Amino acid sequence: MNMKRTTITCGLAASAIVIAIAWGLLAASLIPLWAAETAIVVAFPVLVLFLGLWWRAPGGEEDIPFIGY
Amino acid sequence: MIEYLVFAAAFGLLLLGLHRKVIARVQMRPGPPVWQEILHALKFSFKSTWVPKTASATLYVGVVLIGIGIWSAALFVVLAGESILILFAIYMLHKVVEHGFGLSSGSPYGKFGGVRSVISAASEIPLFVTIAAIYFFTGSLLLDDIIAYQTVHGPLLLIAPPAAIAMYLVILSKMPYGPFSIVEGKELVSGYKTEHFGVWRAGIAVIDGTKTFVLLFAFVAIFIGAVPFSLALIIMTVILVSLSFVCAVTPMLSPYDSVTVQGLITGLMLLYAGYLWWVMP
Repeated sequence: MNMKRTTITCGLAASAIVIAIAWGLLAASLIPLWAAETAIVVAFPVLVLFLGLWWRAPGGEEDIPFIGY
Repeated sequence: MIEYLVFAAAFGLLLLGLHRKVIARVQMRPGPPVWQEILHALKFSFKSTWVPKTASATLYVGVVLIGIGIWSAALFVVLAGESILILFAIYMLHKVVEHGFGLSSGSPYGKFGGVRSVISAASEIPLFVTIAAIYFFTGSLLLDDIIAYQTVHGPLLLIAPPAAIAMYLVILSKMPYGPFSIVEGKELVSGYKTEHFGVWRAGIAVIDGTKTFVLLFAFVAIFIGAVPFSLALIIMTVILVSLSFVCAVTPMLSPYDSVTVQGLITGLMLLYAGYLWWVMP
């Protein structure tokens, strides 16, 4: 799998935004606790994986070329 | 709430690091530093990551997401004082996730690990007869009600010790390097985890950390009751060290022996539950 950095950044941002919105709406008492927890249960795994992928994702240019042993 | 998840995963990984340290010291080895599992999780996050050609890509990635999701849900269930039936249902889902890890990879080592996960489930899940024993005393399976019962009558650890032993064995079954850790046997390299590397392995570390925290925290809540959070963390650490001693001095059983021993214990638990059903009003 070779996802582009922009794709991964979008996924990372989307999951972070979902968590932030859920947290904000719960703090404002606009949604019940279970709804916020459900949103976080869905978004948190995506955040964990995309954060790791984001660190290593290619940014459009090639990585250091393999020069052999 | 996200802070709860991060804390649970980090503390759980710290406990797993302590687990390795205690095992090493009992076996007269220096062992890794206690924060080694946290370092592992971070290290794997920085590794190059892709999906192997032999893997089923959707399942290969999906099981990592599902694994983190179900244990995140389990943490919220415990914190909210909801039914322990949900908690144990999630435990059963975890067996499905382990199986998915093994089957999705296309590796024979992973597949054998996944198959062993299923046969170990056959012996672990019946240990949930502990739920019946708890219900006979408390009349409810809501964690809040169980804690309230213990506030009045004292810890279930003293009232129903066989049930506590059964759940202790369930947790022991999930500890790495333990007598029942057949899904990660060294003859299978890393068992069902073998082909998950890089970020996927970091995800597994988050699963393992959160799972360890949730199971130990649930044990404290179910069998000791309401205690300050800091005291709960200390008790969890003490329980973990006791598990580490068991793991350190007990060789890993063969799959057949593992299932047989757990099956015998399950039989004893069924007798205990039957006895309670007979004598309880």
